[in-house]
Amino acid sequence: MELWVGAIILGFLYAFLTLGSFLTFRVLHFPDITVDGSLTAGAATSAVLIAAGWNPFLTLGLAFLAGAAAGSVTAAINTRIKIDGLLAGILVMTGLYSVNLHLMGRSNISLINHTTFVSCLEKINPGLPAEIWLLVCLVPIMALFWIAASLFFKTDLGISMTATGNNPTMAAAAGVNVERMKIFGISLANGLTGLSGAVVAQYQGFADVGMGIGTVVTGLASVIIGETIFPLRSIYAKIFSAILGSVVFRLMIALALSAGLNPIDLKLLTAVFVLGALVLPGTFAKWPKARAAFAGFPRSATNLRRIRIALPGVAIAVLVLWSAVHFSQHGVIGTKICRIGIVQISDHAMLNTTRESFLKEMNVQGYLEGKNCAFLYRNAHSDTATINNILDDFLRQDVSLVVAISTPCTQAAINRIKDRPVLFATVADPFVIGAGKSDTEHKPNVTGVYGAVPMDVLLEKVRATLPGAVRIGCIWDPSQINAVVNVEDFRKAVERHPELTFVGTAVSGTSEVYQGVLSLVQRGVDVMVLPPDNVIYSAFESVVKAAKPRKIPIFITDVERIQDGALAALGYDYTSSGIQAAHLAERILKGEDPGRIPFQKYSHLTFALNTEVARELGVKFPPAIVSSATRIYGDKSAPCLGGLQASTEKAPSPGRVRRLALFHFTDSETVMRAVKGFMDELEKGDFLRRHAVKVDRISAQNDWNLAQAIARDIVRKKYDFVVTLSTPTLQMMVRTNREIPAVFGMVSDPYSLGAAKTPRDHPANLTGVATSPPVESALKIMRELFPKARKIGMVWNPSEACSEASMHRARKAAPAYGFELVEATAGSTGEVLDAVKSLAAKGIDLFFTSNDNTISLAVGSVAAFLHQQRIPYFSNTPVHVEQGAFLAIGADYEEVGKETGRMTREVVSGKSPKTIPILEFVPERVYINRGLANEYGVKLPQPLAEHATFIKR
Amino acid sequence: MIRIRDFHKRFHAGSINEVYPLRGINLHVRPGDFVTVIGTNGSGKSTLLNAIAGAFPPDSGTIEIDGEDVSGKKDFQRAKHIARVFQNPFVGTAPEMSIAENLHMAHLRGKKKLLRLGLGLEQRERLREEVRQLEMQMENRLENMMGTLSGGQRQAITLLMAVVAGPKVLLLDEHTAALDPKSAAQVIALTKRFVQNGGFTTLMVTHSMQQALELGNRTIMMHQGQIIEDISSEEKRRCTVEDLLDKFSELRKKERLTAEMLERLRRSY
Ligand SMILES: Nc1ncnc2c1ncn2[C@@H]1O[C@H](COP(=O)(O)OP(=O)(O)O)[C@@H](O)[C@H]1O
Ligand SMILES: [Mg+2]
Repeated sequence: MELWVGAIILGFLYAFLTLGSFLTFRVLHFPDITVDGSLTAGAATSAVLIAAGWNPFLTLGLAFLAGAAAGSVTAAINTRIKIDGLLAGILVMTGLYSVNLHLMGRSNISLINHTTFVSCLEKINPGLPAEIWLLVCLVPIMALFWIAASLFFKTDLGISMTATGNNPTMAAAAGVNVERMKIFGISLANGLTGLSGAVVAQYQGFADVGMGIGTVVTGLASVIIGETIFPLRSIYAKIFSAILGSVVFRLMIALALSAGLNPIDLKLLTAVFVLGALVLPGTFAKWPKARAAFAGFPRSATNLRRIRIALPGVAIAVLVLWSAVHFSQHGVIGTKICRIGIVQISDHAMLNTTRESFLKEMNVQGYLEGKNCAFLYRNAHSDTATINNILDDFLRQDVSLVVAISTPCTQAAINRIKDRPVLFATVADPFVIGAGKSDTEHKPNVTGVYGAVPMDVLLEKVRATLPGAVRIGCIWDPSQINAVVNVEDFRKAVERHPELTFVGTAVSGTSEVYQGVLSLVQRGVDVMVLPPDNVIYSAFESVVKAAKPRKIPIFITDVERIQDGALAALGYDYTSSGIQAAHLAERILKGEDPGRIPFQKYSHLTFALNTEVARELGVKFPPAIVSSATRIYGDKSAPCLGGLQASTEKAPSPGRVRRLALFHFTDSETVMRAVKGFMDELEKGDFLRRHAVKVDRISAQNDWNLAQAIARDIVRKKYDFVVTLSTPTLQMMVRTNREIPAVFGMVSDPYSLGAAKTPRDHPANLTGVATSPPVESALKIMRELFPKARKIGMVWNPSEACSEASMHRARKAAPAYGFELVEATAGSTGEVLDAVKSLAAKGIDLFFTSNDNTISLAVGSVAAFLHQQRIPYFSNTPVHVEQGAFLAIGADYEEVGKETGRMTREVVSGKSPKTIPILEFVPERVYINRGLANEYGVKLPQPLAEHATFIKR
Repeated sequence: MIRIRDFHKRFHAGSINEVYPLRGINLHVRPGDFVTVIGTNGSGKSTLLNAIAGAFPPDSGTIEIDGEDVSGKKDFQRAKHIARVFQNPFVGTAPEMSIAENLHMAHLRGKKKLLRLGLGLEQRERLREEVRQLEMQMENRLENMMGTLSGGQRQAITLLMAVVAGPKVLLLDEHTAALDPKSAAQVIALTKRFVQNGGFTTLMVTHSMQQALELGNRTIMMHQGQIIEDISSEEKRRCTVEDLLDKFSELRKKERLTAEMLERLRRSY
């Protein structure tokens, strides 16, 4: 049912476009291609304004104007500069792409959590199913539109416009300003197109910069279908048939999909259909005449008429029959087995991998195709409009679960599907598309796995492989929303290292990639790094071709392409993401409420090296890189690997080698520092070799499930020692490991975790280093630098345990330094700034934040506000200073790693952890924004000035 | 009513395609004059009518209509005062619009095209009466598409469209040349009647010397972009087709027209 209702609604929403096409193609005889751009312009205008809080109905008017403006430019170019109409349309349409992108500010705007005309209508729904209600509302609107449009063509203006298109000479003779009339008509048509774009965007819940592609054909096809069904001359009939054509066009697509037609053929079919409809009437007109002349038949105008009416009649009959058959079929099957709809945007390798591993894991879990389960897999072949049709088809087939692979599919699915579970996979960021606010707080019928490639980790790989001053080239297409985000992350990561230079260039479309890379080569880059970007990866060969002659190594984020000429690739293991999704699917199918299943981050990274490329470029990988690689492409014993990979596979040296598991949760920069400190300490004086200890570094890659599995694995494999760096890995190990001697580091409070009671009262096999945020030291520095300050403002999130702990410590310590603490709470990032403002209103002298993730996400705006208020901003998190805070005092994690290493040496040397007390160790390090220090007129005392790290901003 | 002073027009000036169809036209047409225009092919007759209608501005010279200098005005701005009928019956009407709509367009000449439902029942009745004047039994076919009519019928409607809005100037450019003799005669009869009743200032280009002499009160003869003869109504009464042909022969002598060309002329007239 939904499939057909949805198709009719879409047909209605596109009817404005169809009327616009009718106006240009049929009335003005002007082949207008601008509509591809003006549809998006309307959608973009409406979406941007709605996101800014405008009334959705009001935005429709402006969307109309945006489309009309685009049309008037085409018409003006055609009439005033006398450029061919087709060419003028192409020019404007091409230019509009940039304009639309600028207008939107990114390639895609989500309207999920905003008021749209659909949600407004839903508010007055008397209790019908949402789609039916929308249809009920649209019918009178369409009737009104039909009458208004028909009447327009009956007015003097309308008749003059018709005359202008039909015979410009005659129109001019009747005093019509033909040029102006043409401009007016084309503007009107594009305005209607813009209106269609706006309502479609509001209906589907997002505007996308690519949504206009193919609009010309859609409009024209609808007009022609209408004419074929209703070949009548009255203007009422013509307008009616245009609206009808729009609906029938959508129904045909729905029918094709439900009949199992490959959507890849849809565009071709449409084109063939339009061509046929254009050619056939002419053929029919000639053919009976010829026959009549031959056989001496009387005039056969009636024959011709009969054929023209019979043709659509047959088409409709087939349509009805077909759908009847399909309804009955699915009515029978639908009740027996569970159906799972899988929709995927394109044939991108990572998406295919996700899907295949998902299906395999589902099989393993006992969901067998044809036996107890049917998997309906559909590919939208990069056409966003098709996704909606696919989803409608899923609804019609009454699937129990929709699996959306890729961001666009997820976006469409969460908007379209409300009454059954949606599971997403291979999505970089589900929050920007409105799937939820946090992992736990999200739409009730939606859950899934997501995650983005950590660009900072990739940068570390680049630095480790190519040490020293390096110019890093980066290329991306700004229409790719995830590319822009990743490039920004990457640029920031690069800028943290003064010896590195970021050289970037943006391109639009695959055809510009080659030149883009050449321009980077010209600017002297030493290495190319490609963030996730569908466009760039589609033209990866061009990157290789341009970079190869200069021997420039390429680092990529798509592991599947390592063999195509990249030196190294860091990316997700989409196999494991498919598996993770399959596990979620099983939970949902077993009856668990998806609203209560938190989103999962899939973050099983794979790191691949290509030894052939390394040989060509003369690159030798350092040991750390080789040992962290999970996949080697090419010769495994190549010299560039330094024999490392080979040696690890050889039999161990005589005597028992003891194994130490170094287990950490993430690969973040701070963790890597700690790892480095730890390893440095253990390698000192050849300690590891002398004690015949081999270290296996294992990362949980920020994944709780994975961490759990690794912890169990470590116990099962009977490691001799375990070292955990980070709180989660300690938590996992404490629960599973009761025997292996273990040392922890990078944990702020082992006591609240239940890992220990006091520094001396802890499990016999466990000890470690506790490093809490230096709250007291921060207060101390505040007192030193601002002797007159009295009130400290502090914002914290009561739902964050770490934040709360810091708060308590600050509360306790503040009086000792003569401060009064003024508190405000913020439940989400959105509330942070208001909380800070309320503190400012209470007259705080200083602001302080410690260990709070909520605030960490809003540091930029908080810092800007405080700066404007001249309130110095203190923190326990060093990166805050880079983001605009005044001073941060935090732990130096390399030192923490070293300290953990020292304790591990004792344990390896034979000392029992039981006898080693937990060490409180906070190697403080101060970071200061020098510009702000000058501005606030702060005199830095000597020791501080010497030891602090100064950050310019 | 029409006053043209030293009007020059060149097309594609400076290129090898340069043509110079109007070379200093001076013409004064009084209100109510019915002028027939004859001349060799390519002598600039149509171009002269185009110049009056405002299809292009003059290179030099001026043109006045009803005392107003319209040299700088475009065709649709002059349309209020000027109506035209062309040789090709397809040019003057819109084939995909009904007879009623076409005629309605004629009534809109020189008026603002507003969002007004002007083609109501009353207006249709009026149009029906107008079509009845043609005496071609089309008054009951007002809703028929223009494209379904014969050339003669279309040209008759075009002529009707030209006169219904009461133009000051009527320009007819060989408007019967493409019709069969019977239709041509019908359209000429209509032309005569309309011009007589309406008293429009009329310029009619024709290739029939007979017609040129029979119709109207004045005949001008064009050659190579200039008006070489201006025959007043008294002279016309005395003048015969032979006299006109002699004038062309004279031209031949003057301008060394080849005998072949003259022969062609004789055949065509
Ligand atoms: N708009 C124009 N552009 C170029 N040449 C033109 C144009 N109008 C007329 N001419 C040329 O001017 C000359 C006179 O044409 P015309 O006035 O049509 O002759 P006729 O007296 O047979 O009606 C012809 O050579 C014609 O090609
Ligand atoms: Mg001519």
